[in-house]
Amino acid sequence: MFKDLNPILHSQLRLAVVSVLISVREAEFTFLREKTNATAGNLSVQINKLKEAGYIDVSKQFKDNYPQTICKITPQGVLAFEQYVKDLQSYLDIKK
Amino acid sequence: MTAEKEFTHQESLQLISQMISKAKDDYLGTGVTALMWGAIITFCSMVELLKMLFFPKLGWVDTVWWLTFLGIIPQIVIARREKKLRNYKGHDDQLRGGIWISFGAAIILMNYFVLRYNFPQPLAVYLVLYGIPTFAIGFGKRFRPMIIGGIACWIFAILSSITPDPWTLLYLAGGAQLAWFIPGLILRKRYLKVKKNNV
Repeated sequence: MFKDLNPILHSQLRLAVVSVLISVREAEFTFLREKTNATAGNLSVQINKLKEAGYIDVSKQFKDNYPQTICKITPQGVLAFEQYVKDLQSYLDIKK
Repeated sequence: MTAEKEFTHQESLQLISQMISKAKDDYLGTGVTALMWGAIITFCSMVELLKMLFFPKLGWVDTVWWLTFLGIIPQIVIARREKKLRNYKGHDDQLRGGIWISFGAAIILMNYFVLRYNFPQPLAVYLVLYGIPTFAIGFGKRFRPMIIGGIACWIFAILSSITPDPWTLLYLAGGAQLAWFIPGLILRKRYLKVKKNNV
């Protein structure tokens, strides 16, 4: 049998955010918004959920007097993502 | 994009690959500096070629090569501006920076040795140097135009060693076009397309 998929990652926007963050060292909130086409409010909520799960680090700083939110995937997030992809693959293999 | 929309396992995998590819769209930059260096080197080579063919006594024309030093100023300005505008940091930003800094240092040292020891075939060595960062970055990023550009520089380096002067300058111009100008054009087009989609 295949494993249940991680419910934190098995959500369209959260998975999109983690997939973008796995591809870069760190990203600003605006970058994530550009890539996911999500609304600021929705993205903000999902980022918080990922942060609470320990999958991403969120830091705030100022750049040219503007507040900036920087997101970075944590080692725990990387492991969870890798496990999620493995689970997906095993599921798809069984279905074949 | 919504958070809780139901989606299949197949769609999950598609989303992952789509997002990774979207994130990587920005990776190679805006193409401006590649276009600039491709244009500068081509211009200098062609001016030098025309001088050697038709006006060999006009020594002052050689000062055109100072453009390669002047080009460092807009390079710094553009790099700083791009850095400021970028809203992410890639995994290999430092590695790429290191490759270009090494290349810059190698070119400066090469200029010094050429002036000091009067190298017999300096263009071949310049072409070898041009090929190194171009191929390395193209290979690392799987960006075929730069891989081809890097290999073309090395082939031109061999050809320039068996071609009489001043025709070797055509290889230098060709190397600059294939290594930087054409990849720069492709990157620029790609960057503007991504930017348009993000608006």
